[in-house]
Amino acid sequence: MDRSKSLGVALVSVLLGGGALALGGFVLASNTPHQKALQCIESSTHSHTCSVTLSTFPDSLEGVHGANGGPHPDWVTYSNDNVVVPANTTVNMTIDQYDTGGNVNNPFFDSVVGTNGGTAAVNGKVVTHVALGDTGHTFTLRGIPGNGKTLFVSVPLPYNFGTKFPVRLGTGTYPKPVVVKFSFTTGGPAVYEFNCEFPCGGSREGNGFGEAMQAFGYMSGTITVK
Amino acid sequence: MTTTLEHATTMAQPKGGGLARHQNFATAIVAGVVLAWVGWFLGRHLFWNGSDNWSDQVTILTLLGWMLGFWIGIGAFNAPFQWLLGRDNTRADNLYYAGDKQGRMRYWKFTTDHKVVGVQYIIVTMGLLAVGGILAMAIRTELITPGTHFVNQQVYNSFIAIHGMVMILALIVAVAGPWGNFVMPIMIGARDMAFPRLNALSLWTLVSAATVLVGTLAVGGLPVGWVVLGTIANQAGPGMDFFAVAIVIFTVSTTVASVNLITTVITMRTRGMTLDRLPIFVWGTIITAALALYAFPFFFVAEANQIFDRTASTSFYVAAGGGTSWLQANLFWLMGHPEVYVILIPAVAALFEISSTMARKPVFSYRTAVGAMVVLAGLSAVVWAHHMFTAGWAPSLSGPFMVTTELISIPTGIFFLVLVGTLWRGNVWMKLPTVWMFGFIFNFIVGGVTGIYLSDVPLDEQLHGTMFVTAHFHYIFVGSVLFGAIAALAYWFPKVSGRYLNEFLGRLSFWLVFSGVQLTFGAMFLSGLKGMPRRDASYSFAFEHTNFISTIGAYMIMSGMLVLLGAVITSWRSGEPSGPNPWRANTLEWQVPTPPPLENFDVLPVITEDPYHFDETTVNA
Amino acid sequence: METSAKKSLRSFYWTWVILTAVGVGLSLWLPRRYMPAAMSNDAHLTMTTMILFSICAAPVASGVYAGALHVLRHHRYRGDGVPPPAPQIRESTKLLTSWITASAILTVFVLVWGLGALAAENGSSSSNPLVVNVTGQQWVWTFSYPGTHVVSDELYLPENREVEFRVTSLDVTHGFWLVNMGVQVDANPDVITTIHTTPDKLGVFEVRCEQFCGLNHAFMDAVGYVVTPQKFSSWLSAQPARA
Repeated sequence: MDRSKSLGVALVSVLLGGGALALGGFVLASNTPHQKALQCIESSTHSHTCSVTLSTFPDSLEGVHGANGGPHPDWVTYSNDNVVVPANTTVNMTIDQYDTGGNVNNPFFDSVVGTNGGTAAVNGKVVTHVALGDTGHTFTLRGIPGNGKTLFVSVPLPYNFGTKFPVRLGTGTYPKPVVVKFSFTTGGPAVYEFNCEFPCGGSREGNGFGEAMQAFGYMSGTITVK
Repeated sequence: MTTTLEHATTMAQPKGGGLARHQNFATAIVAGVVLAWVGWFLGRHLFWNGSDNWSDQVTILTLLGWMLGFWIGIGAFNAPFQWLLGRDNTRADNLYYAGDKQGRMRYWKFTTDHKVVGVQYIIVTMGLLAVGGILAMAIRTELITPGTHFVNQQVYNSFIAIHGMVMILALIVAVAGPWGNFVMPIMIGARDMAFPRLNALSLWTLVSAATVLVGTLAVGGLPVGWVVLGTIANQAGPGMDFFAVAIVIFTVSTTVASVNLITTVITMRTRGMTLDRLPIFVWGTIITAALALYAFPFFFVAEANQIFDRTASTSFYVAAGGGTSWLQANLFWLMGHPEVYVILIPAVAALFEISSTMARKPVFSYRTAVGAMVVLAGLSAVVWAHHMFTAGWAPSLSGPFMVTTELISIPTGIFFLVLVGTLWRGNVWMKLPTVWMFGFIFNFIVGGVTGIYLSDVPLDEQLHGTMFVTAHFHYIFVGSVLFGAIAALAYWFPKVSGRYLNEFLGRLSFWLVFSGVQLTFGAMFLSGLKGMPRRDASYSFAFEHTNFISTIGAYMIMSGMLVLLGAVITSWRSGEPSGPNPWRANTLEWQVPTPPPLENFDVLPVITEDPYHFDETTVNA
Repeated sequence: METSAKKSLRSFYWTWVILTAVGVGLSLWLPRRYMPAAMSNDAHLTMTTMILFSICAAPVASGVYAGALHVLRHHRYRGDGVPPPAPQIRESTKLLTSWITASAILTVFVLVWGLGALAAENGSSSSNPLVVNVTGQQWVWTFSYPGTHVVSDELYLPENREVEFRVTSLDVTHGFWLVNMGVQVDANPDVITTIHTTPDKLGVFEVRCEQFCGLNHAFMDAVGYVVTPQKFSSWLSAQPARA
C-alpha cells in the first residue's frame, strides 16, 4: 500500500468512526431527558426580582413524565427539573406540596436554611422549621460553582394532611396543595443542583434513596443562574 | 501412519445431519434468548412477587438462562454429553471440532484449535475496547465544560462504571488472550493447549459474560462506580444484577483459562524446552495465570455475595443487617490489585520478547526478569488495602500496606532495567512494534512514579478519589498496557495474517495516541492536583481548562485508535506479505509456516538452547 | 571505536543530568502552582512530601529517559533489511546489583519518610481537640458541634486548634475530604471514622465528597471557613438551635 492510499485509509477510518460516534452522541444527547426550562419570571414592578413556582407530587400522573405518568407512574416527582433564573436576583419561589410525609433521615432538614430572612411562609404562616415527622419533601439547593458565590438553601415542604382530592392534574387527583413561599438571592452565573432530602425514593434496603431519588428529573433538578 | 492420517482427513467431513456440527454463534444467541425467556417466565411465576427481591430474582434467573442457553447453543456441552452417552469423540470428530477445513466459519464456532481461539480473543478484545472507548468519548464529551450539557448525571453515572469494567475486561485479555493462546503453545513446541475444549469454553464464557456486562446499558446502566461499593450497590436497579452475573461467569472464564495455560506449559513443552530455555513471554503468561487463579476467586465471592444479598435477603453488605461494605471492598481489592498485574505482566513479558528480537540481543538478565515478575506477582497479593487507606477500615494497617506497596517499585524498576538493558548497545530495528515499545517506556515511567505518590498514606489522603488517581492508572492501562498490547499485535500480526501491519498507518496511529495520552492524562494529573474528584458528571469552573485539554486529547486517542483499526482491517486483507519469519526471531512460532498448520508441527522440534542467541545465521534465515 | 563509545556515554550522562534538573525544577514548581492552598499542618506536610517525592523521582525517570534517548540516538539500526546481530550481552552483575541497590535505597528512603509522615499525621498533639460530628447523606454534608445545639451546612473551624472529625453516613458510603487540609476519610453507615487536623491559616476552604455516592455525587460539596477563635465562638452562639 503506498503512502497516499494509506492516508486515504486513515482519513476514511477517522471520518467513518468519528462520524458514527458523533451521530451516536447526537442521538444520545437528544434522547437524554431534559425537561423544558422553567424561566423565573422577572417582576415588572421590582427590579432584580423574579418569581417561579414548582410542585411536588406523590406520583407522576400529573404528566411531567408523559401521559399517564410515563415509565414510572407511581414515582414521586418535582414538577420540573430545569429552572433558569437571572444572576444577582432575588428569586421568589413558590412550591405547591401535594404529597404526604413523615420523618426525615436527618432532623436538620426540618429547618429552613439559607433563605432570605431565614424563614419560609407555609400557607401564609411564617415558619423557621416544621415539627418532627411533619415533613413531606424538602427543597435543598447547593453547590460550589467556583465563581466565589456559594448557595445553600434548604426548605422543608410540610406533610399534606389533605384527605379530599379535589385537584385534578393530568390523570392524577390530589388534595389542595400546601403552599410554601420563600426567597433567596443568586450570585453570578453558575449551575446549582437541588434535590429532596426526604427519603421518598423507595429502595431495596429501605433507606428511601433508590428509584425516584436516583433517577434524574424526578426528585432532583438544576437551577441555572444566567 | 500415513494411511491413518489420510483416513482421518477424509473422515473429518461432516457426515450430514449431526446437530452438533451446525452449532455456531447464531444458534448460541437463539438458544440463549430462548432459555433467557424460559428463565424469565419461570422466575415470574416461581417467585413470590410481593417480595422486595422479586425483580432481582427474575433478572438473575433470566440471565442464568441466557448463559446456559448460550453455552448449549454454541456446543460447549457436546463432548461431555457424548462421553456420558458412552461415545467418546473419534479423531475425526476432534479434527472437525478443531475447525479443520471450515474456512472462516470456524471463527464463529466452539472451535478447539488454539490459533482460532487466539484470533477470537483478538476480536473480543477489539470489540470490548470499542465499547469502552465509545463510553470514554461520551464521558470526555460530557466533561468538556462544567455543568451537565451533553448527557445528564444519571446517564453519565451509568456510563463510568461500564466504561471501567469493560476496559478492565478488555485489558485482562488483551495480551494473554490472543497471544497466550495463539503463539504460546507454538512457542513451547506443543500441538495445542493441554485442554483444547476448555480453551474454547473460556473464550465463549467470556463472550457470554461480556454480552451481559454490556447489556447493563440497556437496563439503566450501573450507576454505582466500577468498584460497586456494597452500600451504593444496594440502591441500584437491575444493572447491578447484570454486573454480578457477568462477573461471576467472567471469573469462571479466567479460572478455566488460567488452569489451561499453566497445565499446558507444565506438561506440553517439547523435548529440551527446559525452564531456562522458555521464551520469557511464556514465563509472563504462566505467572499471570497463577496470579489470576489467586485473584479472581475473590471477585467471584464478592459478586456471589452481592447476588445472595439481592435475591435471598442475606446481608453480607447491608449495614442494617450486620453486614459491611468493607467486606465487599476487601474482596474487591483482593482481586483488584493483583488484577492490575494480571493486566500488566503479559504486556511487559511480550515487550521483553520484542525488545530482544528487535535489538538483535538476548533478553538482558533473563533470570532476574523472570524473578522480578514472580516477586511482583507475589507482592501484588499483599497490597490490596492500599486502595482503602482512606476507608477508615484499618488505620493501624496503613503502615504495613504502605511498606508492601512501595516494595513493588523494586521489581518494577527491574522491568525498566531489562527493557533498556536489552536495547542498550543493540542494533535496534525501528519497526512498528519497537515504536510502540518506546511509547510504553515513556508512559510507564509516568504511571509508575505517580504510583509511588499514591502508595504514600499522607499523600494518598489528599490524592485519593481525585482525578490524579484516574490519570495515574490510565497512564498504566492506556499509556503502558495498551501500548504493549499494540506492540504485541504489530509483532505477531504477520504470524496470524501472513502480512505486516501497515507501518505508516501504525506510526500515524502511534503519534496520535501517544500525544493524546500526554494531553488527556497529563492534564488530568493537574485537575487531580487541583482537587477535582473522580466520577463527577459536573465540576467547578476551577477545573475548566485542564478538562478541556483532556477532552481534546481524548479525541486524539480516539482518532489514533480508529486509524489503527483501519490499519488492522486493511492490512489483514491486503497488507504487504511477510513470510513466515519477518523479524528473524528464534522463538518457535516463527519457525513454523504462516499460517501455522492445524497441529503446528509435522515433527515436534527438539530444543538445544534458549531462543535469544542472534548471529549471522539468524539474519539470513 | 572505543572513544566514540565513550563520547556517546558522556552524552548519555549529560542528558541524564539535564533531564534531572528539569525534573527537579518541575517538582519545585508544579505542586505549588496547582495544589490547593495548604491550610493545615497536614496539608503543609502533604505539599512537602509531594515536592520531595518528585525530586527523588526525577533522577530515576530521567535515567530511564536518558537511556531510551541514548538507544534511539546511538543504537538505532539505520540500514535496510534485517539488522546484524548485536553484542550478545546477557548479564551484567555490576549493573544489576547497583540498579537494585539504588532502587532499594530510594524505596527505603521514601518508606522511612512516608512512615514518619504517617506517624506525624496520626499523632494527636492536643489533649483538648475540638470535636466536630460530620454526617454525610445523599448529597449533603451537615456538621454538628457536640456540647452546643449547632447543626450547620457550613463548616466553621477555629484557627490553630486541633479538630477531631467523627464521620458517619446516613445511607451509602461517602468520602469526607477537606480539600485544603490534606485529609480525608470515608463516611460509612453505622460506623464512626475519625480524622484529625489542625487548621493553621484563615480563609475559605472546600469540603467535597470523593467516594461515588449516587445520582448527584458531583454536587455533594460544602464550604468551610477557618476563623479566629473569637469569631468562632461568636458564630457558634449566633446559630439557631436546630434538632
